[in-house]
Amino acid sequence: MADYVEFKHIEKVFPGVRALKDISFKVESGIVYAFLGENGAGKSTLLKILNGDYMPTSGEYIINGETEHFSNPKEAIEHGVSVIYQERQIVMDMTVAENVFLGGWPKNSKGLIDYDLMNGKTAEIAKKFGININPKSKASEISIAYQQMVEIMKAINRDCKIIAFDEPTSSLGDEETEILFNIIRSLQSEGKIIFYVSHRMDEIRQIAQKAIIFKDGSLVDVVDVEKTSDDELIKKMVGRSLGDIFKELKRNDKIGEPILEVKNLTTHYVKNVSFKVHKGEILGFSGLVGSGRTETMRALFGVDKVLSGEILLNGKPIHPSCPTDAIKLGIAYCPEDRKEEGILPNMSVGTNITISVMERYKSKFGLLDFGKENKTIQKNIEDLKIKTPQQETLITQLSGGNQQKVILARWLETNPDVLILDEPTKGIDVGAKSEFYKIICECARSGKAVIFISSEMPEIIGMSDRVIVMKGGKISAELSREEANEETILKYAMVSMVS
Amino acid sequence: MKKKIEVSGDLKEKIGLMFVLIIEIAIFSFMNGNYFSAANAKNILVSSSLTGLVAIAETYQIIATSIDMSTGSVAAFSGVFAAMLLNKGMNPVATLLFALVAGGIVGVINGVFVTKLKIEPFITTLATMEIIRGFAYIICDGKAVYISDDFFINLGSYQILGFLSIPVLVLIISFIIFGIVLKRTCLGRSVYVLGGNKYAARLAGLKPNTIILKMFIISGVLSALGGVFLAARMNSGQPSACDNLAFDGVTAAVLGGTAFSGGVGTMLGTVIGVFIIQCFNTGLTMMNVQIFWQDVAQGVLLILALSFDYFRKQRRNKKLILASENSK
Repeated sequence: MADYVEFKHIEKVFPGVRALKDISFKVESGIVYAFLGENGAGKSTLLKILNGDYMPTSGEYIINGETEHFSNPKEAIEHGVSVIYQERQIVMDMTVAENVFLGGWPKNSKGLIDYDLMNGKTAEIAKKFGININPKSKASEISIAYQQMVEIMKAINRDCKIIAFDEPTSSLGDEETEILFNIIRSLQSEGKIIFYVSHRMDEIRQIAQKAIIFKDGSLVDVVDVEKTSDDELIKKMVGRSLGDIFKELKRNDKIGEPILEVKNLTTHYVKNVSFKVHKGEILGFSGLVGSGRTETMRALFGVDKVLSGEILLNGKPIHPSCPTDAIKLGIAYCPEDRKEEGILPNMSVGTNITISVMERYKSKFGLLDFGKENKTIQKNIEDLKIKTPQQETLITQLSGGNQQKVILARWLETNPDVLILDEPTKGIDVGAKSEFYKIICECARSGKAVIFISSEMPEIIGMSDRVIVMKGGKISAELSREEANEETILKYAMVSMVS
Repeated sequence: MKKKIEVSGDLKEKIGLMFVLIIEIAIFSFMNGNYFSAANAKNILVSSSLTGLVAIAETYQIIATSIDMSTGSVAAFSGVFAAMLLNKGMNPVATLLFALVAGGIVGVINGVFVTKLKIEPFITTLATMEIIRGFAYIICDGKAVYISDDFFINLGSYQILGFLSIPVLVLIISFIIFGIVLKRTCLGRSVYVLGGNKYAARLAGLKPNTIILKMFIISGVLSALGGVFLAARMNSGQPSACDNLAFDGVTAAVLGGTAFSGGVGTMLGTVIGVFIIQCFNTGLTMMNVQIFWQDVAQGVLLILALSFDYFRKQRRNKKLILASENSK
């Protein structure tokens, strides 16, 4: 008979918080179930109950017909449950094989640890799942990704029937993620029950068949991943569809006069680009990758050379020859690739925020006034809700979404009149995206001219007052908010306007 | 509230370095009773002054992923130049100024080649190293220039408070000033940022070319300063002096925690690095080790320094990866 797990009316209450409310569902073997939901929705809490870390306040869970009640992780493991967390739970000083057999090292006839057996079995498991690892390597010597695989091998060795993964790919590269997925597929074909917690939609579509959606501690729905669109999933997770999110934004209705005018701008990458941006307006720039949107902005920002044409700021022609010039003129450009062009990887969160305006904190003898600077940094962290342990934390330790917030804070600090955002929400989860949209609308309301480049249709359509579509280095169309919809934009992104 | 640049303020590393220094002094003291004495301490300080000044410059350079190999030649040239000016009757203060300006000009030349012609700093400064060395020989016709100016001779030997000679005082002041600049000024911060990601620095509104130029001028002036003090101490300008100076300065900086890959380093670390090297050299001399073995030792020290750098980088990366997971 195939394995199954059933949750019946699980409740988990902490002082002041109902973390799980009446969770009931049944899962079967050989299927990968994705746990979806915003932070705090209850996914990890449920896993902790299954794992024996927590005990439910009420309700029960049944594994293969037996009502279980794990009072500690050891019991859970003995009953075939294994949860693989992001924090490595392996012993660094021991070898791979020793870790795989942790808690149950086999002994030989003489009563000594049977290393041959351990190493042999470990090598077998590794080979079976295609993991390129040496059982005799010390855990501290292998990469983080492989340490994670050691944990998986531990679960396999214990013949766990239920294996859960909590955000497993956050520190994995593409290749390593593929290896992980292959392992999961193998486990699936052996009839294991797999839970997969992640924010990444594209991964879930690759690996999971069903999605269990949590919201505010309750179970919203269990759906077939294939049959449900991203938008529907988001709607279930967040309670509103993306469309609702955009509708709820407090948009700016007081659009002022034009502040920036670009006339027949030609660089090495774009030709004859002309457009205007008004104070308080959000001007969307749409188009396929390589259509020239970023390149247009780089000319405005003094990065690319202007071959011909004019840029007028408040009616006066400007010629920024470097970003420093542009910033002084009141133009800010938040780059597309935060990793290569945005973050200063060896510096703290605080420094990353104030770097473009550090001259402001000069006091006696040219020394920086740290007190004054720290106040500004703190204000930005609070206003933008940047999640960081401290101001001094290295920026590379923050999540992608928070890093992006830091970069945005940097540009907001320069007090620009024109704020150019190039794919600002790329690689950021849905919940964090809506925070960005709110901030951007606030910028518009405060009178800034915002240029918003994005390849995500819902964003462009939801945020912009007008949409400019580019194709092949030229402007293909200019659409009003009413005219802008996915079809029209795609039409102009792919076909040049022939007059 | 003081703020630290987290990566470069690794206290454990500094303590480890101090430990190395202490053990080194202990070993040499054990082998030669005279090592642990006030006279020797003075000796070490004085002989550190030239390397120390250059190490300051190289610290800035390496943090910003640049380097200056011409420091030795500039030092030698300035020594010869100053000696010749003195012999032509110029007053000592003006002489010093002229020598420093000469060093600054070399810095400008280096800076222009690196920023405008976009030649790699290592290659550029290797070239200027040869060129300036050549000029050092040319202006004195290949012969050492003896200094008879009393003021200058005193400059090398006068002791303030009975034990601090002027070059040492200047070294200490330079360490402090340039250390503060590195930690608390826009220029210092820019040096770190440049070493982290030059392109992102530019996009953030910094001017990499200006920063690089300033660093090379600092390099040139500090080398010239050191060269003049050396000439004062030796009572002569020697065109062949300071062969290995750039090498010494770089080794000291890297030993002290300045990462070759850029973006990381502190003045305090460099200070300890300088002393580790100078104590080592002095120790070998006192043990009557042939001067040629000192060359071997220097090379080994540099390899050791680079190995430490490698291991530190591994540790740093591991820390970053572990930290980035824990923050989720």
